[in-house]
Amino acid sequence: MHGTDLRFQVQNLTRVEGEGSLHLLVSDGEVAEARLQIFEAPRYFEALVVGRSPDEVIDIVARICGICPVAYQMSAVHAFEDLFGTEVEPATNALRRLFYCGEWIESHALHVYLLHAPDFLGYPSAVELARDHRQLVADGLQLKKAGNQLVSLLGGRPIHPVGVRVGGWSRIPRRAELAALRPALEEALRLARATVDVALGLAAPDFEREPRLVALHDPHEYPMNHGRIVSNDGLALPVQQWGDAFHEIQVPWSNALQARGADDLPYLLGPAARIVLDHDQLHPLAREALVASGALESIRRNPYRSIVARAIELVHATAEALDIIDAYRPPEAPAVPWTARPGVAAWATEAPRGLLFHRYEIGADGLVAAATIVPPTSQNQAAIEADLATFAPRVLDLPMDAATHRLEQLIRSYDPCISCATHFLDLSVEQASHGMEARP
Amino acid sequence: MTSQIPRVRLLVCGTAERGDDGAALAAVAHLLPRLEPCVLEQLEVRRCPQLDATDLIDVAAGEACVVVDTVVGIEPGSVVVIPLDELAARSDGLTPRSSHALPICHVLGVAEAVRGQLPAGAFVGIGGKWFGYGKLQSRAARNGLPEMERATEDQIRRLAGAPVA
Repeated sequence: MHGTDLRFQVQNLTRVEGEGSLHLLVSDGEVAEARLQIFEAPRYFEALVVGRSPDEVIDIVARICGICPVAYQMSAVHAFEDLFGTEVEPATNALRRLFYCGEWIESHALHVYLLHAPDFLGYPSAVELARDHRQLVADGLQLKKAGNQLVSLLGGRPIHPVGVRVGGWSRIPRRAELAALRPALEEALRLARATVDVALGLAAPDFEREPRLVALHDPHEYPMNHGRIVSNDGLALPVQQWGDAFHEIQVPWSNALQARGADDLPYLLGPAARIVLDHDQLHPLAREALVASGALESIRRNPYRSIVARAIELVHATAEALDIIDAYRPPEAPAVPWTARPGVAAWATEAPRGLLFHRYEIGADGLVAAATIVPPTSQNQAAIEADLATFAPRVLDLPMDAATHRLEQLIRSYDPCISCATHFLDLSVEQASHGMEARP
Repeated sequence: MTSQIPRVRLLVCGTAERGDDGAALAAVAHLLPRLEPCVLEQLEVRRCPQLDATDLIDVAAGEACVVVDTVVGIEPGSVVVIPLDELAARSDGLTPRSSHALPICHVLGVAEAVRGQLPAGAFVGIGGKWFGYGKLQSRAARNGLPEMERATEDQIRRLAGAPVA
């Protein structure tokens, strides 16, 4: 291949949430460019919330994503309550963790069984997988349903929930309502533990690197709504100071901003980062599953093993949900009173795909004057591109279909959530003149 | 005689606060109070902001299904009725608006594979124009609501074995 350039172009990535494509330029056997192109149109949510009250913002940002709306609500509500000095009851915090458990369960189950498992088992989609492995997919759907039921109960509906308010909730569930979900969650826990075995049995391509991992860390609980931002290279700072360590840049090939570290280097968020940085805080059942798997180091080094990390977090989320339900005592009131005050409201929580940072400037009128929302996928983009550049040379000698499959599988390992849509694949290979060749 | 098991599951997709995305909800909200008790008792109504495979998988044997949603790919306000098992195979650009965790063909395909076959039934769709958060329904969609309501009622009556009103 010396003296020639190869251009790989996956026009529309499938089994990711949203619209994006992959572009690779290989020159003399080296990857010259690796670009995850996000061409889905900008959605202007940061402008939409300007002039809105905090409670309106919480409902609006839930519309950003149909898979992880809880994360957007949680980052926003905690940011506002932190600025306003609003102290919520412990039971309210417990319900918010339960809410997040529901989202992690439905999001992780969707990804493990319907988006990522087909890659490992050699199927083009979950439809073909379901034809040959009916029970496997049925189990995944049942897990997902358990998560959706939790979100529905607390948020009023499974998609774009509306229950969260500054100071608490619009409505709090009765103990009997939560107890009614127990059988489904007990079964979900059984299925989650089985999912770990399923994920461990999936052969991951041989690919290791040393990523910079970033997640929240709380010494007392596995990170969801609280903690400091930490990394595996020594970073530790309050969530409000995300901007001291990270920044966003615009790259010409993407409609999504990319986030980088202060040193301009990429970093990785998500289940693998959380497992590596927070495994001591996992629920005992999840920690037991992790130890038994012996997979901690491979989760850290091999991105394809993120499916194991998600499976272990499924155990954590279902087990913790059961614990919260058993210990639940309703708060005295759905919400505590609060008063808006001007200033900067900033917070980060752990979405299923990783750390989600919100920053709002609140004016003297109590309304939002400016907003910055940094979702995990925009933070992971640079790390995905770096991993693609490292991994691609290993597949260049494969037939185009096989090479493309491996590259797409790698991208799906990060569970990118470009928005709330999934589209079909149309692969093309471009041959450039002056020494560029095509691979049909 | 009172039927103990519903014979038709009505899956109502969409959300009311996103303009035409709420057209199916509006049509069904107008239709249900008009139906006779003998039809209503055979009807199980389920709201599903996104159509999920599990909504189709647990349809009981002998129970049929009517899915109502706003679609894109047809003229705003026009109404289509498509057998469920034909919906997944369509390649004319018609797409239900409210199934975004997975594409509609995957939702139906997974449901068919896990359940063994799709439930008997039909999809009733109305073309939408505006889907922005906080938008009102478009005039075209509003004008199409009576036809959407009629088409939905026809399918419910047909599948429930109820007499035409």
